[in-house]
Amino acid sequence: MYDNILIPTDGSEAAQNAVAQAVDLAEKYDATVHALYVVDVDATNLTLGTEQVDRIRQGRIGEMPEVKAEADDATGYVADAAAARGVSVEEHVTAGSPSRAIRNFVEDNDIDLVVMGSHGRSGLSRVVLGSVAEKVLRRTRVPVLVVDLHDEDE
Amino acid sequence: MTPGVAAAAGLVPAQAGILPEGLNVSFKLLPAILVSGMLGIFLVIGYVFKVADTEGMWVAGRSIGNVENGMAIGANWMSAASYLGMAALIATSGFYGLSFVVGWSTGYFILLIFMAAQMRRFGKYTAPDFVGDRFNSDTARAIGAITTFLIGFVYAIGQARGMGLVGLYIFGDLGLLGLSGYQSMVVAMMAITVGYLTLSGMLGATKNMAVQYVILIVAFLAGLYVVGFSNGYSTLLPHIEYGALFSELGSEFSEPFVNGGYYLWIATAFSLVVGTCGLPHVLVRFYTVENERTARWSTVWGLGFICLLYFSAPAFAAFGTDLYASEIGPVYGDPGMTSAAGDVIVVLAAQLSNLPTWFVGFVAAGGIAAAIATTAGLFITGSSAISHDIYKNLINEDATQRQQVLVGRLSIVALGVITTLAALDPAAPIAALVSYAFSLAGAVLFPMFFLGLWWENTNRQGALAGMTTGLVVWTVPMINEVVPSYGILSGVAGSDGVISPLLAQWVPAIGSALVAVPLVFAVTIGVSLATPEPPEKTKQMVRQCHSPEPMGQQQTAEEAITGDDGPSPADD
Repeated sequence: MYDNILIPTDGSEAAQNAVAQAVDLAEKYDATVHALYVVDVDATNLTLGTEQVDRIRQGRIGEMPEVKAEADDATGYVADAAAARGVSVEEHVTAGSPSRAIRNFVEDNDIDLVVMGSHGRSGLSRVVLGSVAEKVLRRTRVPVLVVDLHDEDE
Repeated sequence: MTPGVAAAAGLVPAQAGILPEGLNVSFKLLPAILVSGMLGIFLVIGYVFKVADTEGMWVAGRSIGNVENGMAIGANWMSAASYLGMAALIATSGFYGLSFVVGWSTGYFILLIFMAAQMRRFGKYTAPDFVGDRFNSDTARAIGAITTFLIGFVYAIGQARGMGLVGLYIFGDLGLLGLSGYQSMVVAMMAITVGYLTLSGMLGATKNMAVQYVILIVAFLAGLYVVGFSNGYSTLLPHIEYGALFSELGSEFSEPFVNGGYYLWIATAFSLVVGTCGLPHVLVRFYTVENERTARWSTVWGLGFICLLYFSAPAFAAFGTDLYASEIGPVYGDPGMTSAAGDVIVVLAAQLSNLPTWFVGFVAAGGIAAAIATTAGLFITGSSAISHDIYKNLINEDATQRQQVLVGRLSIVALGVITTLAALDPAAPIAALVSYAFSLAGAVLFPMFFLGLWWENTNRQGALAGMTTGLVVWTVPMINEVVPSYGILSGVAGSDGVISPLLAQWVPAIGSALVAVPLVFAVTIGVSLATPEPPEKTKQMVRQCHSPEPMGQQQTAEEAITGDDGPSPADD
């Protein structure tokens, strides 16, 4: 049923929360897990400055050890979880706006299921911080499984 | 009035407002269309490239060349202070104004020789990052970040004043919401700048910098040539021909040290030199260029682009001063030219030459382009200090990218608001406001960069002691001279708004780095010698920064020393 399962991750607790579900599904269907970390261009701009956006665009992320470490940590968590269950896994890093980059990745890599975490924010914090999951849900044509962080607390 | 009320009144000043005499303040259709069109172009470029940005995959191989980087350096650097403020000070204070031309260009030489390539080798993202990692201290990082934020704030006040004054010529005395015409323009222009920053992607802002540089340099040079030619002052080389006016302009213009004394001249020029080398939004362009060679050549190109304007400013000031004297009244003496009229002397000169309004509007638009380009650079640097260096590194280590975006945006809005408030009734002319920021950068950050890059034994304790000293030496004259004009402590101040004239004479706020830098060097070196040496790894990084061995293109000092297990580079 599923051959390529995408797990977008930003390394947050919410994202990690979705990994178990994704890996479980991947094991059942013998699918490949793709862990994707998106370097948010807006974040780079506001936190590291314009010049770093140029650097990223030139493909020189190797020069930015902290950014690279964060990306590797996030995708590495997925890779470890997958390896523990004997699921094949690929790690990817890309840059752009998260929801758009996820959408492009889905189209370019024959992804047939997206499993992603969400903070389950509501009210004001949802408006301000937004929901990447919501945008991905609305704009991709493949099934999306959203795992809410709050489910675990109950 | 009780002191409390006076303080409140200082923040929301009375209707007096600032109105440059002689300037034709009214709504003008063609210039208004021109300026709105220009702002529209900035937004469109920003938006188009934002889309390209967010689509952006890694485009390997493309790198920014010397010339493009030089243009970005030029636009980022040349603010309303260079475009309006420099000519203003030369017009009102004559020879004293030259300390700005000299200080600001010399700064780039020091940068070129001692810092550009070395900064590239160290390979960090932001100024506080450098300070934090070089001295292995989060406290140092925090002081660096707060200083960076403060620099952005103080620097931007001058930009807001420039945009407000120039806006008066174009849009007239609007007087919205009970504010004076000038204040309304400040609020409107700052709102546009913050909105522009929010809407445009970063790539857009960079592309805009090249456009903004072209607009500002063409507007300035066209203004100079046309004003010079139409009044018969000059033909091909106004930069030299303006000398013929010296005898008519009066000794206040041409005689050395009439307006500002010798000491003040040196203090100002020195502050501007070291400030240039310590400004985070200038240095940031060197962290990311492809290699050290590009870092050096970008500096040379940047300085070249900057000098085009700097060689022209004195001539423009001379023409403006002469026109003012013949059409409005005596420039010097009492009342003389006000600082507000001085700050728009470039626009005023074009207007007094009876040139068409669209042309005067074009000259004014150049000033707005200069102010917006620099404010954008400053606000991004300020927001990165808060969201990257303070929030992500010190408060919430696990912050996600989206949380950092939120904090960054809030910092930009906060910077916009406090800058606008402080610019409603600014304490000084543009060039002076901007020099306060240079004094701060020179006093606190420059010694850390310089010693940090060149003396490996500088350690954490030395850096902390030095930075604190620098902050104190900068703050005291600011309280002494500048704070009273905002209504705070004005009771203690004398009639000229200065608390201690003696202190103001020897440690002027405009040039406090002359006192601060040697003191900070001494304190940093002294404390470093008295406390344990920094770790060997740090020392190796410092050596790597100026080792004669060339480094690989995409290498940083940290990688170079951890990459191989061979013997560490020898001390040089």
